[in-house]
Amino acid sequence: MHILKMSPAYRFISVIWAMALKDIKSTLTERAFMLTSIIIPINFLLLFLLFALTGGQAPTAVVLKDNGPYAQQLLSAMEHSHSFIIRQTTASDAQNLMQKGQIVAIVTVPANFDAALKHGSQIELPVVVNNLDVDFTNDIRRAVPLAITSFYADAFPNQVVVRAHEIDIYSQDTGYVQYLVVSLMVVSVMLGGLLQAGSNAAREYEKGTIKELMLAPANPWAIQVGKILGAVILNSLSVAVVVIVIVFLIGVWPMHWGELLGFVLLLMITFVAAGALIGTLIRRRQAVIPLSIGLSIPVFFISGAFGPAIWGDPITAAIAQLQPVYYGIAVFQHAFHNFTTTSTGPRVDAFILIGFAAVMVTVSAIALGRSRGRGVAH
Amino acid sequence: MVAPESFEAENGRNSNSNSCNQVAIEIIKLTKRFGNFTAIDDLSLVVKYGEIFGLLGPNGSGKTTTINIVSGLSKPTSGQVMVIGHDIMKDTRAVHAALGAVPQETALYEELNAWTNMSLHADLYGVRGPDRNRRISEMLNLVQLYDRRSSRVSTFSGGMKRRLALARALLHDPLLLYLDEPTLGVDVQSRRAIWNYILDLKEKEGKTVLLTTNYLEEANALCDRIAIIDHGKLVALDTPIEMKRRYGDTVMEIETASYVSSQLLEQLRKISGISRVTQTDKILKIAMSGNDLSATGKLITLVSQDSIIRRIAQREPNLEEIFLSLTGSGLRD
Repeated sequence: MHILKMSPAYRFISVIWAMALKDIKSTLTERAFMLTSIIIPINFLLLFLLFALTGGQAPTAVVLKDNGPYAQQLLSAMEHSHSFIIRQTTASDAQNLMQKGQIVAIVTVPANFDAALKHGSQIELPVVVNNLDVDFTNDIRRAVPLAITSFYADAFPNQVVVRAHEIDIYSQDTGYVQYLVVSLMVVSVMLGGLLQAGSNAAREYEKGTIKELMLAPANPWAIQVGKILGAVILNSLSVAVVVIVIVFLIGVWPMHWGELLGFVLLLMITFVAAGALIGTLIRRRQAVIPLSIGLSIPVFFISGAFGPAIWGDPITAAIAQLQPVYYGIAVFQHAFHNFTTTSTGPRVDAFILIGFAAVMVTVSAIALGRSRGRGVAH
Repeated sequence: MVAPESFEAENGRNSNSNSCNQVAIEIIKLTKRFGNFTAIDDLSLVVKYGEIFGLLGPNGSGKTTTINIVSGLSKPTSGQVMVIGHDIMKDTRAVHAALGAVPQETALYEELNAWTNMSLHADLYGVRGPDRNRRISEMLNLVQLYDRRSSRVSTFSGGMKRRLALARALLHDPLLLYLDEPTLGVDVQSRRAIWNYILDLKEKEGKTVLLTTNYLEEANALCDRIAIIDHGKLVALDTPIEMKRRYGDTVMEIETASYVSSQLLEQLRKISGISRVTQTDKILKIAMSGNDLSATGKLITLVSQDSIIRRIAQREPNLEEIFLSLTGSGLRD
């Protein structure tokens, strides 16, 4: 007697596990594709990181014709302004670098800088700018006066009347990159999940194996949950690599590891289920990849990747709140930096994410069940 | 191979319908439209328990659409399909539990090995317990693929894939098997082997088999009854023998040196006992009823007066000719 009567719950679980194992085995046989689904999210992370590291600061040559303490103090103010990548050089070398297009500006500190300051005389600080990229040019126009103000505030505290008094909300300062990588991690989880699960689902239709699933007397929920579980396990590989890069290479250490792991799992379930839904609906792997990337980029930009979305335009912020990346960034910022970047707070954000995960799993299971009626034949 | 009673109840084996009305599949006024195109047009037919039933028709005739609806993969526009006493639209899962399917494209996971494919099927169909692996081995042995159980399916030939798909379909001991073009793209040797498995299923295990095919020879060799459909309509439904009889008991082929005249063709058609006369490439095909030797003699005399006879052969009519006479066209590719 080869067929045993089993409880529906046991059968449901056995189908889930069988589907997860099958998808893992199938994916492991397609190594090139598996590598792609790991590389694309990491590539995304590195690309934006490089953009952030290099794009925000203008390469600038400083020619110090005076080496006095005030001149050195001005140089230090410029170095700490987060606006310049400073190269201290001679006037001729600076000209060469400008000719080769390797720098945006040359700031020359004149020979009488210290003496003139001591006598309260007016000093001219020549700044030559390369207007090839107006954005960089404007950065220089804003940053040089700010650096000078900063220098004055430190060098002559009694002469600077207005000085901002900072009160820190958080115990630590967080740099632009440290903030950005957390947002990038969310979008990497999203991209990895969409790609992995979307491809697994679409592959069933492309290869015609969906018929084996649709003809089985198994619950479509069990089939889809099994596929989601398989994709979550596979997606963990790319997420693990992203976490290693962020924590150990970039050095952004999470303040709450438990929160981080829980939210990573929650986001993976949400995006993997979304991927399974996309794959079930569009049924072609070739379309899953561009669609996943195409969805991830705009969602990333509107969801508060560079700063809390609620600081921005109210319409954009309202749109951002309709999708899970917004809440994902918020809970990850809390897990890493203890930040609260939404008006709802991390606890409510977590519940909203649980809701998104439940909705995605439900809709993807319904979509799979309905594909029976829609016809899966060639 | 008898399934346990508990599984019959659980998986929709309706013993009542099995023993009393003897109807395995009942298709009632089935219509399926895709936009303005009608794929199946008011189709009604019955498949009895224990028979091999063939759905025959050219590509695009509606065979696969019919079978997709029967197996619950597609919804009909109107009409009803009852499978082993269950309405396919209402009790899809019960029907699926009792159905073994070999789709046209086999639906095998080619990147996985044969054993893993069987194992997944066992899990999906709830084949568990201590005998699970024995059952998988048994089915792989049946189709002579046990030795290749660890090989990736992608390395299999077309015939091996079909055999594996058949073994998989039988794994959960279904009451009813549907085979969509079971020997499509398979070499002659494998085709014969698959035919033998299908015949054994009926003869040794009493399975009901619904198959679609483009091959008339296959339908002739396997099917107890055949339904010919074209443009989604039922054109004929009968046993292969009766269909041949309807066309004519024998076909006489006469090869001539030149084309015979149209007057001769008209004359031949008027001879008693001759039901059909066609001429293709200087070959006359004459369908005859009964064994009237005088009619045979008469037609040979008439033909020889019109042209030189090069060859005469007598044989049974084939289904290609029957199909042609019923639909007015040959099998489309």
